[in-house]
Amino acid sequence: MKYVDEFRNADLARAVSAEIASLVDPKRHYKIMEVCGGHTHTIYRHGIKDLLPDQVELVHGPGCPVCVLPMGRVDEGIAIAERPEVIFTCFGDMMRVPGSKGNLLEIKAEGADIRMVYSPLDALRIAHENPDREVVFYAIGFETTAPSTALTLQRAKKEGIENFSVFCNHVTIVPPVRALLDSPDLRLDAFIGPGHVSTVIGCRPYEFMPADYGKPCVVAGFEPLDLMQSVLMLVRQLDEGRCEVENQYGRAVLWEGNLKALEAMSEVFELRPYFEWRGLGFIAQSALRLSADYADLDAELRYSTPGVRVADPKACQCGEVLKGVLKPPECKVFGTACTPERPLGALMVSSEGACAAYYNFGRKSFEKVEIGSR
Amino acid sequence: MKDDLTLLGNCTLDHDGCVVCSDAGIPVRVLSIDGDDALCEDSAGNQTEIAVELVAPVTQGEIMLTHGGVAIGKIEAENLTPER
Repeated sequence: MKYVDEFRNADLARAVSAEIASLVDPKRHYKIMEVCGGHTHTIYRHGIKDLLPDQVELVHGPGCPVCVLPMGRVDEGIAIAERPEVIFTCFGDMMRVPGSKGNLLEIKAEGADIRMVYSPLDALRIAHENPDREVVFYAIGFETTAPSTALTLQRAKKEGIENFSVFCNHVTIVPPVRALLDSPDLRLDAFIGPGHVSTVIGCRPYEFMPADYGKPCVVAGFEPLDLMQSVLMLVRQLDEGRCEVENQYGRAVLWEGNLKALEAMSEVFELRPYFEWRGLGFIAQSALRLSADYADLDAELRYSTPGVRVADPKACQCGEVLKGVLKPPECKVFGTACTPERPLGALMVSSEGACAAYYNFGRKSFEKVEIGSR
Repeated sequence: MKDDLTLLGNCTLDHDGCVVCSDAGIPVRVLSIDGDDALCEDSAGNQTEIAVELVAPVTQGEIMLTHGGVAIGKIEAENLTPER
């Protein structure tokens, strides 16, 4: 069974852990943000924090597309889903995200035709099979997911399917990271870059981090050893005074990314002038909408969505957690009014949200008591 | 053959997390090709059709990363072991 589980090999992980411990400057603090929700999940699920010295602090970033979606966009999706002629399709991630008057799962229980799909191509197939109905796909996600929406729209156009449209909520990773770096709230030393976003966009878009802000970045995979190695690479950079973009996830990320995917995205999408992010406010050129060539498949135009803005619940501190200013348990409603069963904020909905990951896998520190000492 | 796929992580096509939020990239092997789609298999033996336009051309036996039913990348075989 050559290679099996090598990226979960405990001996290698311990060796990397020891090397990090030997390299860290005991007088220094290393504050590293993992941008991606998938990384947050791996860190908690596998107890990575326990393998790192106290000087290394991991801060969770805004890289969960469900978590950063403002409530108004959820409400607008629900308004489309409630139309009798519509079959509304979305990824499972979206079903429990709270809007101001409920979530898609509740609307479905009341009779709306809402179907969970695994791929936007499944939504297109539903449109093909139901020519007398209007099929809408609720598109969310960063650059990992945008190519699948782009490809689906290209196929819809090629096949002349007119009863299909996309409500586009795709966002891009670089502008929110730049916004965080501009934020006076937060002092970060380095970044762990998202692995599969980088499979699409490559490593070049992160070069502004060292160039403009003097912060190193390592693009990382999603297994425990991937993250440990990435922390090691960042600690080495910081100790040696280097500041550059490095690629730990070479088995899946090329420096230039996937050019065909980028080409499909540039044909189908264009940048919005600005987009609202939960907790971060409006960020310029941080999201995608359908280009003029694809306007006839744009659900936003087909249903004239009004651009609703809804304030988050007052008790909810998702914004501070998203920016890394608060740790999840420091939120006023964490684990009390807001739980994975009854989420108040989006960070508790997605299993990759920082609060849900912390709730499910986070460990509390207990005073150690030697057996027989009492 | 399937064991090679676990090098790329333990994520499979029946991944029960949030596909989008977890930035999931599922490693699969190409079994057969039919136009712009390919029948693929993951490390658990699950099989499904994957759209391959964005990584074309593909050949039987190649390993790809898929997300939301679409192949988004190929695997660089020379980088398959952890480095120190």
